[in-house]
Amino acid sequence: MNTTKSLAHPDLLSYMTHLECSGCGREYTYNEIHTFCPFCQSPLLTIYNLKKARQHVDRDAISRRTRGMWRWAELLPVQHPENRIFLGEGDTPLLRLFHFEKLLGLKNLFLKDESSNPTGSFKARGLSAAVSRAKELGVQKVIIPTAGNAGGAMAAYAARAGLKAYIFMPKDTPFANVEESRMAGAEVILVDGLISDAAGMAGEKARAEGWFDVSTFKEPYRVEGKKVMGYELAESFGWELPDVIIYPTGGGTGLVGMWKAFAEMEELGWLRNTKRPRMVSVQAEGCAPVVRAFEKGASFCDFWINAHTIASGLRVPKSFADHLILQDIYESKGTAIGVSDEMILDAQKRLAQLEGIFAAPEGAATLAALLQLIEKKWVQPEERIVLFNTGSGLKYLDYKSH
Amino acid sequence: MGHNVLYIEDNPDNMTLVQRALETRGYKLLKAKNGLDGVKTAETEDVDLILLDINLPDIDGYEVAQRLRSSQKIALKTVPIIAVTANALKGDAEKALNAGCDVYMSKPINIRELWARVEAFVPMP
Repeated sequence: MNTTKSLAHPDLLSYMTHLECSGCGREYTYNEIHTFCPFCQSPLLTIYNLKKARQHVDRDAISRRTRGMWRWAELLPVQHPENRIFLGEGDTPLLRLFHFEKLLGLKNLFLKDESSNPTGSFKARGLSAAVSRAKELGVQKVIIPTAGNAGGAMAAYAARAGLKAYIFMPKDTPFANVEESRMAGAEVILVDGLISDAAGMAGEKARAEGWFDVSTFKEPYRVEGKKVMGYELAESFGWELPDVIIYPTGGGTGLVGMWKAFAEMEELGWLRNTKRPRMVSVQAEGCAPVVRAFEKGASFCDFWINAHTIASGLRVPKSFADHLILQDIYESKGTAIGVSDEMILDAQKRLAQLEGIFAAPEGAATLAALLQLIEKKWVQPEERIVLFNTGSGLKYLDYKSH
Repeated sequence: MGHNVLYIEDNPDNMTLVQRALETRGYKLLKAKNGLDGVKTAETEDVDLILLDINLPDIDGYEVAQRLRSSQKIALKTVPIIAVTANALKGDAEKALNAGCDVYMSKPINIRELWARVEAFVPMP
């Protein structure tokens, strides 16, 4: 029985070998606390012994395991099973959007619904991994700047791990995120500004107090939890990857994580072919640094001035991993697309009315983007297309009442 | 065109990081530890690009940018200025651009981005 009291897959051990800088390639041991590369200040990524894993880890055996993110434990960064903080994250449904297929003339349209994760969003995956590693490394206090859902997720996982959580949020963060964080015992500091402002303050506090900063890509483990979305997708499609993934991009952990997962699976020999999806990064028109950089062919984003959108998770003026996000989009022959708040709201309503999915605005943005891509003939009717709903619309009721 | 980069920054760690990064690419780094020294160095030396921290111990980076742009030295009206700050506080980027900076970067300074930004104005020697 895999209850939340039992250990998640106690017999499985990680194949993690070290951390590696995504910028300069320097290597770091995983036995110490690391944030980002002190030499070139790029994000660190977790590296596994995939050659060995290829010999000993059977993808089909993983498919038979009890559901949940930690059934992929060999490819996750926690060494000791007792440190895995499990609240039921992962294995979210991949829903076929039959009504939209008919409406839009598509034959293979899916939505990966991340709203069924603990705390109602995909953030649970990353924070499960990061808080688990923090616990394993002996951390007592964790700190995070967040536009919303990451705060609620961190508060929950920190509570379960017995860690103290400090959360810096813009003051206009959805009420649900503030409340769920406080309910879980986190100390919430509301900031008059954007996530970048919150990040500046959290970073200063972390440096001054020695707390572990779990900011997006300023530690190496959240992306590991997020990458499991990529493993699950491949498994769902019989170890083939879809043609197109349409993904909302704030900090970009999910996009970068999935691309990492695809590379790992290729090395593991788990995929039936080497065809990778075209990655579509979706942002709000009121905060679209990746879209602007992509259109210029740039390798870094300019800081987006005066960011505004109802999709609070997309209000990220510049991701710390912008280089990785852009690199993955270019490599996948993907694209980046901006959608207006009006289009997001319309898509949100249509998703709920046609398919019964009350998506977060960030998730609805992917449908709005799909409509544009169809118009541009960027996607073809036969292609297997996956939208990502990153969270529940129920957590964003504030703007509905305005 | 020369390859002199002036970095106005009071934090020695950042100064060391940027010096190492730019010198490996062949740039010459001129250093100033506060805003007034920065303005003075820019006015007396040949400078091809300025990296400007916003939080300085005397005058802030916005004022430095304004003084540079209104300097008697004509070259300073067009010299590229890249603003760099740890506190990406509300309106900081906009204020930096309004003060005369060309680009805004937030700390921590990603070295690859720094190279790309600098090379966009001053090609590598």
